[in-house]
Formats: sequence, structure tokens, C-alpha cells
Amino acid sequence: MPLAETVPNPYQPKLMRIQEYTDETPDVRTLKLQFVDGDEAADFGGWEPGQFGQFTVFGAGESVFALANAPWRPNGDHGAEPTIECTFRMVGKVTSALRAMSKGQVIGFRGPYGNHFPVDGWKGKGLVFIGGGIGMAALRSAMLDVINRKSEYGEVVILNGARSVADLVYTEEMPAWQEVDGVRVVRTVDPGGETEDWDGEVGLLPNVFEKLGLDPEGRIVIACGPPIMLHYLFLSLGKVGYSPDQVVTTLENKMKCGIGHCGRCYVGPFSVCRDGPVVTWAELNELPKDY
Amino acid sequence: MDASWKLTEAQLREWLQGLLEKYDVVAPAEEDGVVLFSRITSEDEAIVEPSGKTRWSPKEFLFPRTEALYHYTFGSGKVQLEDPSLPERPQVLFGVRSCDASGLVRLDEIFLSGTTDRLYAARRENTTVVTTACAAADPECFCTAVGGSPVGEEGSDVQLVPLVEGWLLRVLTDTGRDLVGEAKGDWSAATAKDVKRLPALEKKVSKEIERSPVNKEWSKVLEEGFEHGVWNRLSHQCLGCSICAYVCPSCSCFDMNHNGNAWSGAQNRSWDACTFPLFTLHASGHNPRTTGHERYRQRVLHKFAFRGDEDEPFRCVGCGRCVALCPAGLDIVNTVAAAVDAIREEGADAAR
Repeated sequence: MPLAETVPNPYQPKLMRIQEYTDETPDVRTLKLQFVDGDEAADFGGWEPGQFGQFTVFGAGESVFALANAPWRPNGDHGAEPTIECTFRMVGKVTSALRAMSKGQVIGFRGPYGNHFPVDGWKGKGLVFIGGGIGMAALRSAMLDVINRKSEYGEVVILNGARSVADLVYTEEMPAWQEVDGVRVVRTVDPGGETEDWDGEVGLLPNVFEKLGLDPEGRIVIACGPPIMLHYLFLSLGKVGYSPDQVVTTLENKMKCGIGHCGRCYVGPFSVCRDGPVVTWAELNELPKDY
Repeated sequence: MDASWKLTEAQLREWLQGLLEKYDVVAPAEEDGVVLFSRITSEDEAIVEPSGKTRWSPKEFLFPRTEALYHYTFGSGKVQLEDPSLPERPQVLFGVRSCDASGLVRLDEIFLSGTTDRLYAARRENTTVVTTACAAADPECFCTAVGGSPVGEEGSDVQLVPLVEGWLLRVLTDTGRDLVGEAKGDWSAATAKDVKRLPALEKKVSKEIERSPVNKEWSKVLEEGFEHGVWNRLSHQCLGCSICAYVCPSCSCFDMNHNGNAWSGAQNRSWDACTFPLFTLHASGHNPRTTGHERYRQRVLHKFAFRGDEDEPFRCVGCGRCVALCPAGLDIVNTVAAAVDAIREEGADAAR
């Protein structure tokens, strides 16, 4: 049989319907999506935390978002219908078009792509999730997976920062995370970003992290945020005594194809979409500063 | 597999004309004074010479400049998706130089690795490559400096070797044997003397290419000197026009964009280049390569560094088109040599 008949078109997305959405901030929205076609839903292989998808607004284009809800695993404990959530900020052509869509409308999804956080390898360890701004979206799947089976992990600290109180995401669900035994949520906003009734910290994420005084022994740090935040966070982590292989992050480079072909997301020999996006700080140190 | 015949020019032309019955034949042909690979309808359009190359490589016949990846239509509240149609007639790329055939293999390494690119794979499977060995080098040629050869066999199904009179035809693969088919009926078998033409040409043409070879060990030096100030100096001339990427037989970067209206549209892809400033621009405004020297460095290093292991070839095949056509006179081999010299002399971290 000719090869082309047996090879699926990697670029043709699956159609998904917007079931619900939550407005996290004035410019950040979380979508809840379900497959339009029952057969495609049944064939869906699920994903692991840290993987991402390409989301299509027909006529506008594609954008990459992290798969942000607890991982859907084919044999996992979940409802029959796979649901995908993604959180995006309205910044460009595609995300503006996506923001203008309403419940019931259809978009495209292809994925999951990339590697994932080694959540099973973290069993028994203390975890510190550090998310800056919308960087929380890339961590949420792993956080929810860990919280859902908290007994398998040590203390979980979630450190969430944003420029201002209005820019904090997932604020509605955070109290519920807090209630799980052994989960601590610390929130901070940049100086000047606080409101009168703000009861969290005020300060930049790396400084707040240092103040927490979390002993590196037996802990893993999982961080995601803008490049400038990561730069200073790594300095703080080094100061507190964390070694580079204890720190995991997820790279965000411009991507188009998602399958390592279009050449856009290379960092030296490392294709972020194919070989990443999840990397340890130790692995990052081996790559050229090209991200 | 190494079956060889000796053909007169007339026999070669007769074979080529015969191929047109069953295949779409793409060969060098003249268009407004420029020789380009084009789909020919008659053998006399094809320019099959002992030396000389086309302005562009033949890569667009496997990886078109622009193509739809899928189409969509909106109707009665539904979105319908449709795959583009696949080629039905088999295709022959005729008169491809060894460097360009290597370029196609470099494309295979991208599009057929990991997730298979369906459209590329369909065309590739459908394509037979007839290469033409070189009896002379163009001024810009440097295949021998990057591990290639003017009589190289990589990516070739049938190789034509220019003899003093006529052609030596060598079948190199099963696909090539099918292409020769019944045509060989009145061809005469090649003699040992004809076959000796290969090493003789290799020696002659290699001598004409007055370029020092790029050493494979230099890849590591280039990687270590990633932040070396030499890149600033070496890239000053670069205008960022990206002609180098467009004429390159192995450059494979592409962009993806939607073209559509309220009723229908397509997800398209088109050639792109790492030397364009928008190539890596994030929607947030962050750009890892804001300066020209970072972009030029990426292009050079993607060709000559970051190879998986020592055996992995350079991603430059030495056709020299980027050297011949650069409006600023940049020469990638000189750039590599100058960068390696500077990094070795001044240390990997020397001044920015």
C-alpha cells in the first residue's frame, strides 16, 4: 500500500466544541473543550502534565497552549468524555479571535505534543511549584495531578506571582487546593500591584521564594514564567542551595508545526516542541542562551 | 545493482522523451534567460549538460514554496476539513547535480523523521532522482569542502556521468532500475574504461574547487564559541534578505498561516528563514534573536554545528548558491573558517 495512504495528515486538527469558559483576568480566559466527534473522543490517547497542544481558530490561525487540566489518561479515573482545558492571554491575532468566540463554537486541536513532567518520578518528594503570571497554565496540569493523589507526595508548596492582583489566575479554585492536607499556597504581587484588601505577599517571586526558606533536601522545584523571572529565580535557587537537577522548567519558544519540522523553536540542537518543552535547569545549562 | 551502460546523446534524449509518457518529468530548462527546474513537456526543453547548475535547487518539487496542509469549509453550522489531494502520476527529477540530490536527503531527515509529513512523504515516494555528475566546477562550488563529491551518489537512483562523448548511465537503486526498464534494449554495456571516468572526474573537479575543507571537529568549536564577539563582526554585512535560505537545497524551515474568509479557507505553509527577525518573535513581544548577528549565527550553526554525532553530515551540501547570490558578498565557508580561527585564538568567551 502506498505510504501516503497509511500516514495520517499530522496537520489536520480534531474539532472541539467550547463547553464553558472562565475569565481569569481581564485578558486571560480558560476554555473547557470537548471533542465534536464521538469516535475521535473514544480514540483520544490522553496526555501527561507538561504537554501542549496546537489550537486552531479557523480563519485566524493556530496558537500553542499548555494542556492545563488534570491529565486525561486512557485508563485513569475520570468521566467517559475527555475534556481539555487551556488558558490563554489575548495578545495577538489568533488569541484575539479565540477570545471573541462563544460557548458552543468549534475550534481545532492537535496534540498532545512534547515531553512531560516526570510526575511519577517525583513520588515521595516535596514539590515547590513556582508560577509567574500565565506561566501557571503550564504547571496546572501537574499541580492538579499531584493534588489529586497527594498521599503519594511530600509537602506541596504552590508559589504564584503576578504583576498585580488583577493579573492573578485560577483565583477561584485556589482555596480548594489549599484545603488539601499538606498543600500550601503562597501568592504574591509585584510591589505596586497590591490592592487595599490584599492579604498575600508583596514582592518579586525570587525574593518571596528566598524568604520562604524551603530546605532543598528532598525537594523538586517546578518553575514556569517569563524569561526574566526565570533568570533571577535561578540565581535565588542557587543561593538557597538547590542543585540544577532539582529544578524543572518548561521552555516557551515560538512554535508553528509542533512536530520538530518547521525549525522555529530550536535552541541549539534542541527542538523545544519535539525534545521539550520540559527541561531541568541542568539540561538548560548545556544549551546555548537562545531562548 | 551497479548496472552500467554507455549512451549516445541521441539515446539519452530518446530515453528522456520516453519517460514523459509515464512520468511527470522535471528537468533544468531555460526561462527568461535563467536555468530553472521546470516540468517539461518535450525532451528538447531539458538542458542536460556536463556541468553548470540551476538558479534554484529542485527542492520545491518535494517541498513546494507554498502549499495547503488542509482545507476547511463552514456550512450549515458545521466545520468540514479536507486533506489536499496527493500526486497521482509518478515524478522524475532529471539532471539533478550531486549536491542537490544530497540536499533532498537532508530534507528527508527532517520531514520523514519523528512524525512523518504526509504530503512530503507522498511526493518523495513518488519521485525518482536522476543525477548528473559534474565534469567541471562552477566558481561558487564547494561540495568537496563539506564532505560531498562532484560524482556523489547520495540520493541518486540513476546517475549520468558525462563521458568525452556521450554518457555513462549507472543504475544505483531498484527505483532506478524500474526507470531504465525496457529502454536499455539498444544501449551498449559500459566498458571498464568508461567506469574509470568517475574517479578521473572526481579528481579533476576536486582540484578546480579551491576551498579548504571544513573540518568536522569545527562543529564543537563553533558551539563553544556561541557567545563569541566574532559573530557580531562576521554578520555586519548581512542584510537579512534570506536569499541564502530560499536557494538552499537543504533549508527546510517553514511558516504556517491561515488564509480564509467566512465560507472557506486553508491552513497553508510556505518557505521561511531563520534570518528573518519575525521568525522567532513570540506573541508576548519576547524575541530570543533580536539582532542580525544572532540570526546569522543560527543559520551558520544549523548548517555546521549541533550535529548529533561525528558521522552526521553537515547540513550544507556545498552547492554555493548562497555564495553566488548573496547581495552582500557573504561566503558561508569563509565565515565558518573565520569564526573558528577567532574562537580558537581569543578563547570561547572573548569580547562581544
